[in-house]
Formats: sequence, C-alpha cells, structure tokens
Amino acid sequence: MKNETTKLVGEGIGFERIRRITGYLVGTVDRFNNAKREEERNRRKHSLEGLKTSAQ
Amino acid sequence: MKVIKRDGKKVDFDGEKIALAIRKGFINAITNIAYNEEDHNKVYQAVMEDIEKEYDAESEIPIENIQDMIENRLKSMGYTAIYEAFSRYRFRRSESRKSFQNRQHKLMKAIENLSLKSASEEDSKRDNANVDGNTPMGTMLQYGSTLSKEFAKSYLISSRISEAHDKGDIYIHDMDFLPMGTTTCCQIDLSKLFAHGFSTGHGHLRTPKDIMSYAALAAIAIQSNQNDQHGGQSIPAFDYYMAPGVRITFKKEFKQALSEYLDLMESTKKVDFDKIVKQIDELQSIDIKMSDFKAHFDKDKNIEKIFKKAYDTALKKTERKTYQAMEGFVHNLNTMHSRAGAQVPFSSINFGTDTSAEGRMVIKNYLYALDAGLGKGETPIFPISIFKVKEGINYFDKDPNFDLFELSCKVSAKRLFPNFSFLDSPFNSQYYKKGDPNTEVAYMGCRTRVMGNVANPDKEIATGRGNMSFTSINLPRLGIKHGLITNDKADMAAFYKELDEKIELVKDQLLERFAIQCSKKKYNFPFLLGEGLFVDSENLTDTDDITPILRNGSLAIGFIGLAECLTALIGKHHGESEEARKLGFEIVEHMRERCDLLSKEYKLNFTLLATPAEGLSGVFVGIDKSIYGIIPGVTDRKYYTNSFHVPVHYDISIMDKLKIEGPYHALTNGGHISYIEVDGDTVNNLEAFKAIVRHMHDCRIGYGAINHPVDRDPVCGYTGVIGDVCPGCGRHESEGIPMETVEATRNECASC
Repeated sequence: MKNETTKLVGEGIGFERIRRITGYLVGTVDRFNNAKREEERNRRKHSLEGLKTSAQ
Repeated sequence: MKVIKRDGKKVDFDGEKIALAIRKGFINAITNIAYNEEDHNKVYQAVMEDIEKEYDAESEIPIENIQDMIENRLKSMGYTAIYEAFSRYRFRRSESRKSFQNRQHKLMKAIENLSLKSASEEDSKRDNANVDGNTPMGTMLQYGSTLSKEFAKSYLISSRISEAHDKGDIYIHDMDFLPMGTTTCCQIDLSKLFAHGFSTGHGHLRTPKDIMSYAALAAIAIQSNQNDQHGGQSIPAFDYYMAPGVRITFKKEFKQALSEYLDLMESTKKVDFDKIVKQIDELQSIDIKMSDFKAHFDKDKNIEKIFKKAYDTALKKTERKTYQAMEGFVHNLNTMHSRAGAQVPFSSINFGTDTSAEGRMVIKNYLYALDAGLGKGETPIFPISIFKVKEGINYFDKDPNFDLFELSCKVSAKRLFPNFSFLDSPFNSQYYKKGDPNTEVAYMGCRTRVMGNVANPDKEIATGRGNMSFTSINLPRLGIKHGLITNDKADMAAFYKELDEKIELVKDQLLERFAIQCSKKKYNFPFLLGEGLFVDSENLTDTDDITPILRNGSLAIGFIGLAECLTALIGKHHGESEEARKLGFEIVEHMRERCDLLSKEYKLNFTLLATPAEGLSGVFVGIDKSIYGIIPGVTDRKYYTNSFHVPVHYDISIMDKLKIEGPYHALTNGGHISYIEVDGDTVNNLEAFKAIVRHMHDCRIGYGAINHPVDRDPVCGYTGVIGDVCPGCGRHESEGIPMETVEATRNECASC
C-alpha cells in the first residue's frame, strides 16, 4: 500500500554543471556553444607538484 | 507625374524631396568653401527646369535619372567638391545595396535556423551563453543581431575588412552592435552616481540613505548602463563605494538604539540628546571609542552602560542589514534583466582593499552572501567577483585584510568566485597610488583591463573608463602559412610581415568603428553619457562632439591560439618546449610593441588583448580546417586554444603553467586571465588553495581564477562534485527517487 503512494521526484531532471568561460560562469554546460563544450571536456587537472610560495 | 523608385514602386513626384536631397549633398560633403542655402536652391531650380524640359510629356521618371540630373548640374555649375562627394556617396550606397541583396539568401537561412530550431540543435543560438536562445526575447535579440551584422558588412565596414572577417583572418567582435555605435564596457564609479542620485529615464533616484538602498541602486546602475553598451559593467572598488552606506546605517541604528534604551531606562532627560545626535552625525567611522562620548555620561554609570549597549546593538543591526543588502544585491544581479529581457547584465565587482571597518564589513558580508548562494542554494553566476590581492593589505598573514583574503579562498573553493587580481604585478602596481582607489587596477569579469591612457595622461585611472571595441587576429593561420607545417622551416620574416599587415588591418577597422562611435551624441547613450558615468562626460551637452570623451577608452587588438600557432611554426607549443616559449613571448611582445607604436602615433589607447573568445573559439578553426585540412596539434580540435594559454588538454603542473603564462600578462595590457584546473580534494584544502593564489602572485599574474567542478543536483540541492550519482540523495542523473529520501537529505544538510 505504502509503495503505491510513494511519490517519485527528479525524473528527467539532470544535474547542473557550472563551469567558467572567458572569466564568467555559466549555469550549465548546455548553454555552451559546440567549440566551448569540447574545450570544457578536454580540460585537464593541474597537479600541485612542487608548489611553494614566498609569502608567510 | 510619378517617380519610379529602385524597388519598382511608384510614388507621386515631390519637388521638396529633391531640394532636401541636394541640401543633404551639400551638408555632408567635406569642403573648405562655405556654401549656403542659396547655393542649394540654385541647383534645385536648375534641376527642376531640366526635369520640366526633358520629362514634360512623360508620366513617369526613374529616381536614378533624377539623381543623374543633380550630379550633372552640380558639375556644370562648378560645385566640383559637392559633385564628387555626391557621386561617391551614390556609388557606395548602390554597392552596399547590391552587397546587401546578395546576402539576402544567407540572411533568410540564418533567420530560418533561429526560428525553427531549438538551442540544442542550432549552435548559433548558443553563441553567447548568457543569452537563452530558446526564449522569445533571446530569439528576438538573435534576429536583430543577424540582420544587423549583415547590414554592417554591406554598409559600414570597408569591403577589404569585411572580407578579412568572413575569410577568418580577423574577427570583429560584437559586430551586431557596430551600426549602433555602442562601446563595449565601463568601469563605473558608483560614488559619483550616489553623490547626486541619478535618473534611469523615468524619474530620479535620490542619494541613497542606508546600505540597503546603496546596494539596490548599485544593481540598478549596472542594469541601466548595460542597455547603453554591448559588453559588461564592472564596479572597480565595490567595498569603497558601499562603505559610506554602512556608516549611514550605523549612525541611524546607534541613534535609534540610544533613544530606545534611554527611554526604557527613563533617562532621556538626563542627557542632551540633540548634542548626542550631532556628535553621532559627525562620526567618520563606525569604529569608535566609548571615551569619545564621555561628556554625555561622565558621572552616570547607567548612562555609560546604555551607550555601550546601544553601540553593540547598532553594530549588530548594521552587520545584519549589510548582509541583507549584499544578499539582495547578488539576487538582483542574477534576476534583473536588461537588453529587452534577453540577458541578465554582465556584471563584475572588484573589492578587497578597503581596510576601514565599514569596507571590511561590506567585503565580509558580500562573501557570506556569495557563500550562501541563491534562493535554493544555487551558485550565483553574477556578479563576477574579483578579490584584489595586495601586499600590505591582504596578502601576508599580518595584513589587516588577510582574514578576508582567506575567506575569499574558502568561498572560491565552493562557489568558483571570487577570482583574484594582483595589484602587485609591476604592470598594475605602476599606477597604484596609496589612498586613491581609482588608481587600483580593476578588471572586467571577462578579463578586459583599461588603465594606461596616452590620450589623456592625467587620467590613468580605472574609473569611468572602458573598452571601445576589440577585434582579434587568427594567429594559427599565420603559423600554418609560414611554419614548418607547409615549409621546410619556419619563415619568421614572412610571418612577422603578414602579422604586421593584419595588425594594420585591425587598426583600420578599429578606427573605422571608432568614427561611428564618435559620430553619436550624448542622447544616444542617456545613462553612460547622460548621467556622467564615462570619464569627463559630466558636462556634455546634447550637441557636443563626444570624441574627446571616448578617446579615454581603449581600442583592443586581440589574438587567439598562440599554442596552435607555435605548433604550426616549429612543431611544439609553449607548454612543451623552451624554444616555443621563447618564440611565443617574442611574437606577443612584437604585437604589444606595435600597439604601443600605434598608441603613440594616434594618441589613442591601442591595447593588446588576450581575447576572451567565447563565440570566436570555434570560428577560425572551422574555416582553417576547410582550407588546410586537419593538422595534428593545430586544427584537429573544434576550438583554438584561448589567447596565450597552454592548451587545456596538456598535462602540466600548476607551478609550470603559471610560470609560463605569467610573462604574457605583462604584455597584454588590454586584459588577460590565467586558469588553474583542480580537483575536489585540492580545492577543499585551504592551504593548497592559498598556495595556488600566492603562486599566481609570485608569477606576476594580473588576473587569475581557479576552476573546479561545481555541480548541483536541483532535486536535493546538493552542491559539489557529482559524477554519475548524486552524493546528496543517491539518485542517478534524470532518475526519480522517493520524496522521503530527498527530504531526509535536506534535513541533514540543514544541520551542516
């Protein structure tokens, strides 16, 4: 009985993925043009290797 | 008699129209001889006689024949300069008309795609991610934009320049706004607007009287100015501008709390309240010493207590109101629309250097509001928030605003904002004058920077200035033409020769557009110029020439794809080889030197810009692929690498990336940005985050940002990294889950 009344939410709703282009943010990658979409997909993470700074 | 117009339509003959055409011909011609209405009339009478003679028996006359008669008369009556100008104008118009007609098919096709396809199907509807191409106003803007670009190409841009644009040698940004003569952007001095209040067209807004209205008016100013320009709006010193609002609010709250507490303790009569009010009104800071009020409570401990309590209350309430003001500001900038509702204003704010108690309160609460996000916890997209990093102010642990720098790092780790700008980098610090926030370099969120001023060396300030327009050069194509890819070895002499030609062409184009901009009047830009936002525009009248004002702006020469250019030239890009690094620097340095020479020659601010390239990112490479085919490392992707960036797909450490890109920031005085991409673990490690920002500082970056994935599940509200499954509620993308599960998640979230 309980199962029948259980209301499902979120069907068909995707995740929002906020990314930066040119310096500003875009609420979701869907708004990107094709070139920027591919660029975003190709972005690699940069490693912290050897990172030190002078300030204390 | 009927006149046959160009489109074949017939209208009644009207002599007045001929007289006016002749008059216009005289007025528009540039000549040293002063002609007057009598001259206009003499030609008119002669032409009318000709028509009577030749067309007496006719019932129709083609418009072209009337124009021929005007030309003939101007020539035979000795008005040579007018004749030549008239004839040139006719020829140009007719060529433009032909060219425009030739474009009609293309135009219809473009409109068809905009109208009948959705944004997900049609790339051109996603040219600018800030415009939603699926909405009616978004589509309307795109219709206008499409038509306006074709009009500009046919009528306003020299054909050799529009050919270079269509061929992909250069790219004229925001061409759709070229006919309107708009300028790109402005760094708005809000304190000037607040001092006298301002008008947005339907009524006057008075000087704001508390922090809430300061923040509300700031949003309105941004929105209004956005309609007068085609780029974005930046606030150079948000903390300094908002601080007086905090002070006013505090004074009000202090007076009110004192009055209430005195009343409550039945002590009103024990003090001279008018005197207290006067003293509070004169306060220069919210950071006060109780002893300053000693005269009022000298012998009475209870009154002293009331003062202390009232002060605490006032501070707390001011803090609360400041938070609400900042929260409202962020909400406004993400919801208020401009440009016929097609876009939210492209807004940026710079802050971080005001060390006054009020300024600090603004910065802190702004960051808190940014951290909290929008109504459902969404990450605010606007304003682009820029924290100004400066030694002695917020960089070192002992600096007065160091705590706010740390807070900025924390918030940026969650919300991607703030970005960071670096006032100590030599090309920025050279303008810095202690105590004058106008001399602190500000950035437009997209990266544009306007600071140096050859046109007006007394005005080397950030405020009231902006970019006029910018146009970019296709560097990879020059690399392909003169590099290893198509020759035995790179021919650098030929490369530089053609690069100089392109710079010259872009210069001509920028000047051509600048002339259109300068032909406008104050009334064309009622907010930007009418309300005195642009530097020196306060005293303009409607008939004044605006050229001297606009000369304070920058004309930017941009570029894209240094990486692909280098690969085409010598087989490697600047991330990979020292040789490429040297050559890359040399090329960009060369461009900067050319810009400096042009600035000197024209007394105009030609600047070198590391182009933002959103719409452009895929344009050049698309054309180049068709011409040169797929060249590995050059044309094998859908985009060219942004400006001087090391390619995004290249594996490199943070340390090396910033060291390589840093030197280019000094060269690109029209604007620049460097990105670092990190994963979730790094971003949540405050020490690591700070170290990255400080490394940017050490590498003399001008403007930088740290990218990391910020995903959000709109169903449960979880914000963070989301792979295939939401860590908040456990659902897969597009999958439905029971409401109870979501609610349980929400409860958990509320406690953290």
